[in-house]
Amino acid sequence: MAAAAAQADPGGDWPMAAHDHANTRYSPLGQITPANARSLKLAFSFKLGPGRGQEAAPIVAGATMFIATPFPNTVYALDLSKPGAPLKWRFDPKPDPAAQGAACCDVVNRGVAYADGRVFMNTLDGQAIALDAASGRELWRTRLADIKKGETVTMAPLVVGDRVLVGNSGGEFGVRGWLAALDAASGRELWRAWSTGPDSEVRIGPDFTPHYAADRGADLGVKSWIGQAWQTGGGAVDGWLSYDAQANLVYHGTGSAAPWNPDQRPGDNKWTAGVFARNPANGQARWYYQWNPHDTWAYGGGNENVLLDMPYKGSARKILVHPDRNGYVYVLDRLSGQVLAADPFVAVTTGEGVDFASGKRKINPQKIPRTGQAVRDICPSSAGAKNWQPSAWSPRTKLLYIPHQDLCQDSATYDVSYIPGTPYLGMDNKMQPGPGGSRGALTAWDVAAGRKRWSIAERFPVWSGALATAGDVVFYGTMDGWFKAVDARSGVPLWRFKADSGIVGQPVSYRGPDGKQYVAVLSGVGGWAGAIVSNGLDPRDGTAARGFVNAMKDLPVYTGKGGTLYVFALP
Amino acid sequence: MSMHGRPFATRMPQPVRRPARLVSLVPLVLILAPAAAAAAPLQDALRAYGVQAEHIGRLWNFTLGLCALVFALVLAAFVCALWSARRGDAHTEPDISSLARPERGIYRIIAWAVGISTVGLLALLGADVVTSRALARMPLQDAVNIELIGHQWWWEARYKDADPARQFTTANELHIPVGRPVVVTLRSNDVIHTLWLPNLHGKRDMIPGRTSTLTFRADQPGTYRGQCAEFCGLEHAMMALLVVAEPDAQYQAWAARQRQPAPEPATSRTRRGREVFLGKSCAMCHAIGGTTANAVFGPDLTHLAGRGTIASGMLPNNRGHLGGWISDPQTLKPGVSMPANLMPQEDLHALLDYLETLK
Amino acid sequence: MSLRCPDTVLACFICLGAGLLQAGCEREQRPTRAPPAASGTGDPSFTAQGVLPADNRYEENAYAVSQGKVWFRTYNCNGCHGQGGGDSGPALMDGAWRYGADPASVYASIAHGRPNGMPAFGQRLPEDQIWQLAAYVRSMSGQLRIDVAPSRSDTLQASEPEGRREKAKTTVDTSGRAGQ
Repeated sequence: MAAAAAQADPGGDWPMAAHDHANTRYSPLGQITPANARSLKLAFSFKLGPGRGQEAAPIVAGATMFIATPFPNTVYALDLSKPGAPLKWRFDPKPDPAAQGAACCDVVNRGVAYADGRVFMNTLDGQAIALDAASGRELWRTRLADIKKGETVTMAPLVVGDRVLVGNSGGEFGVRGWLAALDAASGRELWRAWSTGPDSEVRIGPDFTPHYAADRGADLGVKSWIGQAWQTGGGAVDGWLSYDAQANLVYHGTGSAAPWNPDQRPGDNKWTAGVFARNPANGQARWYYQWNPHDTWAYGGGNENVLLDMPYKGSARKILVHPDRNGYVYVLDRLSGQVLAADPFVAVTTGEGVDFASGKRKINPQKIPRTGQAVRDICPSSAGAKNWQPSAWSPRTKLLYIPHQDLCQDSATYDVSYIPGTPYLGMDNKMQPGPGGSRGALTAWDVAAGRKRWSIAERFPVWSGALATAGDVVFYGTMDGWFKAVDARSGVPLWRFKADSGIVGQPVSYRGPDGKQYVAVLSGVGGWAGAIVSNGLDPRDGTAARGFVNAMKDLPVYTGKGGTLYVFALP
Repeated sequence: MSMHGRPFATRMPQPVRRPARLVSLVPLVLILAPAAAAAAPLQDALRAYGVQAEHIGRLWNFTLGLCALVFALVLAAFVCALWSARRGDAHTEPDISSLARPERGIYRIIAWAVGISTVGLLALLGADVVTSRALARMPLQDAVNIELIGHQWWWEARYKDADPARQFTTANELHIPVGRPVVVTLRSNDVIHTLWLPNLHGKRDMIPGRTSTLTFRADQPGTYRGQCAEFCGLEHAMMALLVVAEPDAQYQAWAARQRQPAPEPATSRTRRGREVFLGKSCAMCHAIGGTTANAVFGPDLTHLAGRGTIASGMLPNNRGHLGGWISDPQTLKPGVSMPANLMPQEDLHALLDYLETLK
Repeated sequence: MSLRCPDTVLACFICLGAGLLQAGCEREQRPTRAPPAASGTGDPSFTAQGVLPADNRYEENAYAVSQGKVWFRTYNCNGCHGQGGGDSGPALMDGAWRYGADPASVYASIAHGRPNGMPAFGQRLPEDQIWQLAAYVRSMSGQLRIDVAPSRSDTLQASEPEGRREKAKTTVDTSGRAGQ
């Protein structure tokens, strides 16, 4: 069935990182099919530099492509109407280099957004900037974050009507999370909704009608914490935003609670590690659901919420599909926040599903971290069964294509001090491959049935986004540098291309000025999973990169740093 | 003929004149002194102020009595043996008649001795079992739950509650309600420590990586001093703890105060003091609730001014001692983790003014 | 039995013992009290005058290096640098350095911070502790003697103990300095 409120230009643009407000990442272009995909050829490429993780989605509006790079966050505009897509303009925002010390997960940027002739971008040092799409001239610039506290911005903004929605990063630094709405024309901040604290700051008011009893009560954003811990409680809004125009609700996740050591913050730690439905006009919350109460393993809740209108369990429903870090694919009623299903897509040792009466996740007490002790075989690891990397939906196959990893970890927690500007974690992790044997996979998930249809195992975590197209071809990239096309129905590999570096970006598809369908992706390994290469980490320390290095010691054999845009089309 | 040409025992040495009577009075004085200094914290294993210590005290008394009896009997037997031994001199042949045949009635004597010992040991075992059961059966309804974490060389106390907003953290001084059971969960942050509150219970080890539990109850109000009883480093001897047992209403009032963040400084001097605290090294190790200082390496100072002592029970908490401690803690506790803090005198006084507001 | 032999043997033992004692003394001292001059916070103006000492008095002292290891975790250095392998900050256990590998440069990096995200701790930490930290940081790449560098950690085992790491050949690559 139709994705909710698809706002994509039927002409084949890709105006925002998730393609549309429903976050389907589904391109309606059908020129590339399983029959001809093997003929895909490189149409052009563009060198980006610097050699850090290229996680952005190339944005296409009309005949221009906009690419955001990791720090120093240069934005390139390429003119697609000319052969070879030459550079139209570039914009260098000159962010503060000190921001690099506050970026937990590589100095990435997840993309810009295009609307009404403007391009909206975020810089690592926490500025939201609007540019004129045609000339690259800066229209306004608003500082939103304080890097001295360890607060940065890495997410791709979402434009809803005349507002630009921006959320912060920095939960790992004890930064209190927020989502802000800026006026698209002037950059003036209209409202800011915090992820912890009193109801007035979280923007919980008379409109708030959470489905579950655990989320009802006054000032739970203070009362579910010890002392003043909510002030450094995390809940960063560093993930994806989706929007239902009919219901006029923005859906966003809140990130992991701070510190990672759960013993230092007893209580449910609201409103971290959950999903909010808010009114974009004033930020007032409509409902909330907590994926991970007390966020025992620092999963957070920032993964994407894909909005679908489809028959579900017998009746036509407006649902929200969310593959969470805790290893479950959730289906929620997106108007009320009720959990309709929660089914695991990886091996999970930290819990056994959700209690549908209370809404709480049933957790395994044996895997709860204990200060001073090592707890082993925590699956999924703190990186989650799926991290930031976004999944794609095909309304034709009714499958959700989830790029993810399969990692477990050993953890030892310790009491950590909050020192502003330094990480606030308290957890030593060592990750290792999960029981499946391979560290990553692309899984096609049957949403209606609540189970896996097929899965392609990969050597490394699939840290790139997924792309689904109307031609029934699904694209994704691997960390060892392969950009792959597979049959959307069966998962049969159709085509692949070896890029000059691992791929952690979001593939997109657009219709070029010549009418052909193009597929574009950035290569350049990095992100949290690729930090061993992008940041030159030492594999001898298993706890480096919060344990990720232990599971990725062989990555440097397969890929070096990079930074290139690749665009493919049929000949 | 002896080997070295001198007889075994020729003459008893002359008794040495010693102020024996006065010396024997010293233990008595030490025992009685706490009673005399009633206001000073009590640290006395022989005086039980809680039900657990009473059980242990009874076991102690019984053991002491039984062992004293045994000791007296053995001593008496020894004296008897000495008295009834044949007097002799260097030329007397040793009596080796027992090599040829056993002493008259020897088996009977041995049987009696073994029998009495066995009975005695069984009595001790029984007393021990009874005591252990009594200790384990202390009722735990309406208990106060405290997580006590040993650090080198101070005590961190986290008061637990089902409602996270009612939990709080303090250091080195526990308040407990009289008559209510207290369940203390013990952990250690670094090396093995041992909690010992002699007036309230016996010792319990705090082993890093493990959790142990101690349950006790104070039955009379008072201030009880405890200390670390497992060598834990340079300053093991300076790691004391105060437990203040007070009526429940007072305890609730104290707990309610502990839950509050630190008050906003009201004068410019106290504001300067807070700036000094947050701007210098203090906030790298200490926490004051309600400010950005939230470090956990050193004790939580949110309610420092309400404590009777500083430096883990070693110094009285007054301006002079606090100033000296902040300036150079190494003088009192060399090797303690807190470094010397050189700062201008006005800054130190402003800081002390601010710390004095943290009630 | 000659009378002179035991005396010679005794003399040998005394000399050997004195030698060992001398070598061990330095390592075994526990300078718990910082020199008064180093008890203030590490004022950044210190190095502006170019008066940083060339070597670190603590690099021969096991207690100081182990204290440095305590500060490394206490002040959240491990949050950005892992246990030497790095995270958002660079690895410290390899031989690659951006601003210099000698004790004075390491001290300056910690006290003054560096432009690409290393905070300045000079105002927040006593100078003496920064020297201890610098000594520990250098031990992470095996620059210190095995009897001075720390041995097995108390944490989840991440890597070989510092004392067992091979001394990394240090290189200074300044290309990463002024923004990447």
